[in-house]
Amino acid sequence: MDDLLPALRLAGLHKQFGRPAVDGLDLTVQRGEFYALLGPNGAGKTTTLRLVTGLLAPDAGSIEVLGIDMAAAPAAAKAKLAYLPDEPMLYGKLKPFEYLEFVAGLWGVTAKEAAPRARELLDWLDLSQHAHELTEGFSRGMKQKLALAGALIHDPELLILDEPLTGLDAAAARQVKDLLLAHVAKGGTVILTTHILEVAERLAHRIGIIRQGRLIAEGTLAELRQRTQGGSLEDMFLHLMAAP
Amino acid sequence: MMLAPGGVGWLLRHELRLGWFNMAGAKNAGGRRRPGNAALALAALGCIVMHVLGWFTVRQLAGVPGDDPRILLAISAVLIAATAFMLSSAIKACVLVLFERSDLDLLLSSPLPSRSIFTVRLLGVCASTAALYLFFLTPFAHAGLLQGQWRWLGIYPGVIAVAVLCSCIAMLLTLGLVRMLGARRTRVVAQIVGALAGALLVIASQLHALTSRQTQARIRDAVLELVQVDGAERNLLWLPARAMLGEPWPVLLLTALAGAMFLLTTWHTHRFFARGLQLAASSAVSTASSTVAQPRFGRSLFRTVVIKEWRLIVRDPQLLSQVLLQVLFLLPLFFLIFKRADVQVQAIGAGLALLCSSLTGALAWVALSAEDAPDLLLVSPASQRTVRRAKLAAAMMPVLGLVAVPLLWLIVRMPAAGLVGCFVVSGAVSGAGLVVFWCGRPGVRSNFKGRGKGGFVMNVLELFNSLAWGALGWFLSAAALAPLARMDVVAVACAAFLAIAVPGVAWMLRSRPL
Repeated sequence: MDDLLPALRLAGLHKQFGRPAVDGLDLTVQRGEFYALLGPNGAGKTTTLRLVTGLLAPDAGSIEVLGIDMAAAPAAAKAKLAYLPDEPMLYGKLKPFEYLEFVAGLWGVTAKEAAPRARELLDWLDLSQHAHELTEGFSRGMKQKLALAGALIHDPELLILDEPLTGLDAAAARQVKDLLLAHVAKGGTVILTTHILEVAERLAHRIGIIRQGRLIAEGTLAELRQRTQGGSLEDMFLHLMAAP
Repeated sequence: MMLAPGGVGWLLRHELRLGWFNMAGAKNAGGRRRPGNAALALAALGCIVMHVLGWFTVRQLAGVPGDDPRILLAISAVLIAATAFMLSSAIKACVLVLFERSDLDLLLSSPLPSRSIFTVRLLGVCASTAALYLFFLTPFAHAGLLQGQWRWLGIYPGVIAVAVLCSCIAMLLTLGLVRMLGARRTRVVAQIVGALAGALLVIASQLHALTSRQTQARIRDAVLELVQVDGAERNLLWLPARAMLGEPWPVLLLTALAGAMFLLTTWHTHRFFARGLQLAASSAVSTASSTVAQPRFGRSLFRTVVIKEWRLIVRDPQLLSQVLLQVLFLLPLFFLIFKRADVQVQAIGAGLALLCSSLTGALAWVALSAEDAPDLLLVSPASQRTVRRAKLAAAMMPVLGLVAVPLLWLIVRMPAAGLVGCFVVSGAVSGAGLVVFWCGRPGVRSNFKGRGKGGFVMNVLELFNSLAWGALGWFLSAAALAPLARMDVVAVACAAFLAIAVPGVAWMLRSRPL
């Protein structure tokens, strides 16, 4: 029965900072889906993600993570998800394993599960050779990869990423994309925002386009193409942004 | 005045403008670039007060000849103290110039010669080092000018020359440290040295009070003997003081020395300046540790948070030095009190309470308010209450560990006084921790020294907590030895009320996390 519940369901979500940042947003993402949320700067993408992850409280509307109401049972909902913001949430004076130890502790992952998983993730992301360095000396890409490892240490069912590929070189971006695809292949759900339309075009099962806090278009790439009479995602995106 | 773009003058104007903006505080939340009106008004008021003080001082000294050894001695003492502070602030300014300015890559990648950039940066360090002392000392020069005592104008070249000398020494020292230790460690060492220099000066200022009467008399005799020797006023040791009093040759000599030092520093070290920056840039990748850490997963949430907080504190030498500096500043107080054998037990009680309150407040701010990744904690399903309690424990445990040995010593020697010590230390630590727990405002670790600006209420409550437990420590320790007088009982009651009221007020004013 639980398997039928969507990974994320937003209904009538509102958040205002002087002006509406999220304005009556309705959104449903199914389990095992790779969902890309696109929109221009200031469209409300990051605010939406911060609402979903419990970092902000909505003014109105509801958020359900795998059927769990975020307002009613935040800890249970948060246990199912992981959030990777555009600025990695790291501690400069910790080493990678220590960081993963801490994150695993926050999510209550047992040593039996966390230890091999931490090694596997650091190996996959080519961070094992830097395991004994403080993260303050890491490059932007290394920090982003370590933060991703932290997000995956508790094997979340719903992974939410805000601009995860910003500032990464081609090799690091490829590693991150592979890891996300592997997560979806295992049955996990990924929601990401990105300005790199090609990423959404190649990876996402469905794409949502948000403007001024409202979802103005949603569907698979083919559905969106149909709606805007063909062209690339970039053409469609610009067409939708230009529409009144 | 139009200055040619790319010239030293043009760059210097840019540097001074940045310095002016920096005075407003780099972390000004309002985005204001210049010091606030209140700060400017306070500075203007201070300037007027210093001019009034200068006017009367200069008038008092009107008849005293400039080569009077007593005057030279007094000015030399002021100069020695000022030089130590100048050196300390110049080292910090050099570290800022070398490692923390984000515009240097832009400047060094431009076609400007690196010598011009280095010259201007060093001039900027000199200006920032001299500014404070010019502010406090030039009113004496102005007063002298108005009263027709031209010799006081020597303050201008004197202060500037000493500032230039200190800045050059500080720059050479900083660059030398980069060569020996690498950029990253230099930053830490320079900041610790700067902090210690200030603290040691505070301790040195108390030497008079700390030394015995016989020692004081011996020093006084030695100094009088020195100044009464025929021709003592011609001793080279007085050169800076005589320069400050406007004697032409000393002024000329000191200025020439400073000028030569400046030229030598810029000519011979500007290449290394650029190299120092490259080292700073590459230092990020040289942080590998030789220790092989075994990952330990599966600890409880509480232990995980405590260990993480301790790791972050121990691995930040700059932060650690700033926290421990508070202990250093309290040392003169301890020395003063310990000199009187009759109040030793009371002093231990009060001193330990003050020390523990201050240290706990500082560590609790680091652990609770200066969280590096608050969003990570908020998105996790971990109980925020447990996390915050663990952070509080992480702040309190090292302090209790630190004073455990002196307390045990006290319990063995004087059980009653020792138990009182345990009581006041526990109270002071709990009070200080709870004040930050309930009233601490979020901040960043790098702004440890400025943490007071973000939480006035927290600071006041921390102060009252220290005072209350310090007073309780004093009087209750005394009570452990002999019955208290009636006024002392009243004082104990007042201190106890304050000690209870402080966490009570903190609880009422507590800010609720999301």
